Amino acid sequence: MKTLIIGEIINNNLSSGTLEILGKAKSMELETQVITVGSDDTPTIGLNETKQTYIKRSNSSLNFSKVASKITEIIKNEDIKLILGSSTYMCRDLISFISVDLNSSPISNVIDFDLHDGKISTVNSINGGESLYKAKINSDHSLLLIRPKAFDPAEVELNTDYETIDVDNSDIEVFDIYIEEKSGPQLEDSKVVISAGRGMVDKENLEMIVTLATKLNAAIGGTRAIVDAGWMPYSQQVGQTGKTVKPDVYIACGISGATQHQVGMKDSKYVIAINKDEEAPIFQLADLGIVGDTLSVIPKLNDNL
Amino acid sequence: MKIAVCAKQIPDPANEVTYSDGIINRPDEQVLDDTDRYGIEVALQLKEKFDAEVTIISMGPAGTQKGLQQALQMGADKAIYVDDDSLKGSNSLKTANVLSELAKSLTADIVIFGTESTDGYSGTVPQQVSRFLDVECISYVKGLEVGDNITLTRQTVEGSEKVNMPEKCVISVTAGGVEPRYPNFKDIMAAKSKPIEQISLGDLNIVSEQNVEFLNVDTVESSKAGEKIIDEGEAYQEIVNKLRELKVI
Ligand SMILES: Cc1cc2nc3c(=O)[nH]c(=O)nc-3n(C[C@H](O)[C@H](O)[C@H](O)COP(=O)(O)OP(=O)(O)OC[C@H]3O[C@@H](n4cnc5c(N)ncnc54)[C@H](O)[C@@H]3O)c2cc1C
Ligand SMILES: Nc1ncnc2c1ncn2[C@@H]1O[C@H](COP(=O)(O)O)[C@@H](O)[C@H]1O
Repeated sequence: MKTLIIGEIINNNLSSGTLEILGKAKSMELETQVITVGSDDTPTIGLNETKQTYIKRSNSSLNFSKVASKITEIIKNEDIKLILGSSTYMCRDLISFISVDLNSSPISNVIDFDLHDGKISTVNSINGGESLYKAKINSDHSLLLIRPKAFDPAEVELNTDYETIDVDNSDIEVFDIYIEEKSGPQLEDSKVVISAGRGMVDKENLEMIVTLATKLNAAIGGTRAIVDAGWMPYSQQVGQTGKTVKPDVYIACGISGATQHQVGMKDSKYVIAINKDEEAPIFQLADLGIVGDTLSVIPKLNDNL
Repeated sequence: MKIAVCAKQIPDPANEVTYSDGIINRPDEQVLDDTDRYGIEVALQLKEKFDAEVTIISMGPAGTQKGLQQALQMGADKAIYVDDDSLKGSNSLKTANVLSELAKSLTADIVIFGTESTDGYSGTVPQQVSRFLDVECISYVKGLEVGDNITLTRQTVEGSEKVNMPEKCVISVTAGGVEPRYPNFKDIMAAKSKPIEQISLGDLNIVSEQNVEFLNVDTVESSKAGEKIIDEGEAYQEIVNKLRELKVI
């Protein structure tokens, strides 16, 4: 099946989400090409065995609708049937626009898909991850938004050999671009993740999380509750509207375990939860649950590591 | 300025969700999706600065209209909705098609959304509506400042960025920047006399098909509940032991 992956660039490289979809496409032996959208000058995103086209846009203009039109044109010209992208801000915009052009509803939050008799069937999570929905797509084009960490990434060697297409600016100018500082281990690729919730009681208490993270070489995450409260930048939010993580060890500190948080961490290999409420839903997915006060358990833990 | 806010009635999230043939069972009494409160708040902030009319647009079983009332209580002026059996289980494209037709019928300049609904959670409807309406979509907005221009702050993967709101556009609003207001007793009483109008599906131009065929739905088992230890001062030791066993330390 002629397949298009809409790729993204992170740090001059294909994003982990793009590589995961590429891994799945390879394992299914789909006839794949990649169109990567970004604003870097000459990113190292070329692929040895797979056709790569770079759509270059300026980040000083909000022009994803123009990018989408370009991609729709390519899909029609090349008779592409399956269109895949990660559930990221950019791909959600692009695939939504393209879905109207192709008159085919996309499926979001896909965690698995398959091909039978020329038709795509999917498994996607719905209702904040509480249920899994299986469906078959009956239109000419299948558009899927894939959740991060659903598939194993492809191992690729990257080059700078690809065709570049420039896309015009729109009338909407972008200004005051702010990039959050990132330091220490990153959420997506750390073996240990320590997340904080409102049960850390006060922003200042996050210091003890930082100490613990340093000792365990862990990345730090948080719930939407504390991100909204300004304790932590959004880039560290774990969950439905934040990052999906799959570390070897996930330590949830003062987190109730709402389904929207769970979807971002439930595939972690080993989950440790500290919460003073014995009934907190987070304990339902904890391998080791400590019913206790974060402010008493974590300092002792720090002193003994 | 005419503003439309798309808001959805959903089953109370406190109750367990059940399905029939892959379609969520919707009780007669549904509530306003919390996600949509953010969009309504942005609309109301615009209304406070301009002479704007704010209309709630909704699709789905109307039931007791509690969710619509909750939207009006926050301060919207009126509501219109489509409730048609043939729309049950609509995919995101069809939903977007219906909502864009409603926005057109109002000649709305600005159409505001939440980012993703709590039940459907496809996160694609706002962008699809913008495409149907052929206007720009300013997605993932988390805040606004009203000065000479209306400046919208967008959440991005790496941080944030700003754009000025054009005269006509679609906006999707994410949590974090604005705090949805709570209605007081007076607002609740006032909402009762605000108009709620049902629009017939037959009056709308629907071009999209139902291309997704339901096969099966399953509840995710999340009960891997392991050991639970009540801390009496020494529970940290269990964590240390475990981290050692897992070779983290
Ligand atoms: C559309 C939508 C999307 C969402 N997306 C996300 C998302 O991506 N990520 C996310 O995390 N949330 C998300 N949420 C929010 C989610 O529903 C919860 O509100 C949120 O996860 C709760 O965060 P919390 O656990 O920090 O706070 P709370 O739910 O308030 O829980 C705090 C916990 O700490 C415990 N506690 C309090 N004090 C102590 C103490 N001293 N010691 C030990 N324990 C203590 C309490 O028992 C409680 O269980 C979303 C919600 C919606 C509607
Ligand atoms: N049936 C509906 N009625 C009104 N608004 C809706 C409906 N479905 C989706 N929306 C809007 O689209 C946003 C995103 O929804 P979704 O794409 O379902 O995640 C929601 O926050 C609402 O603003």
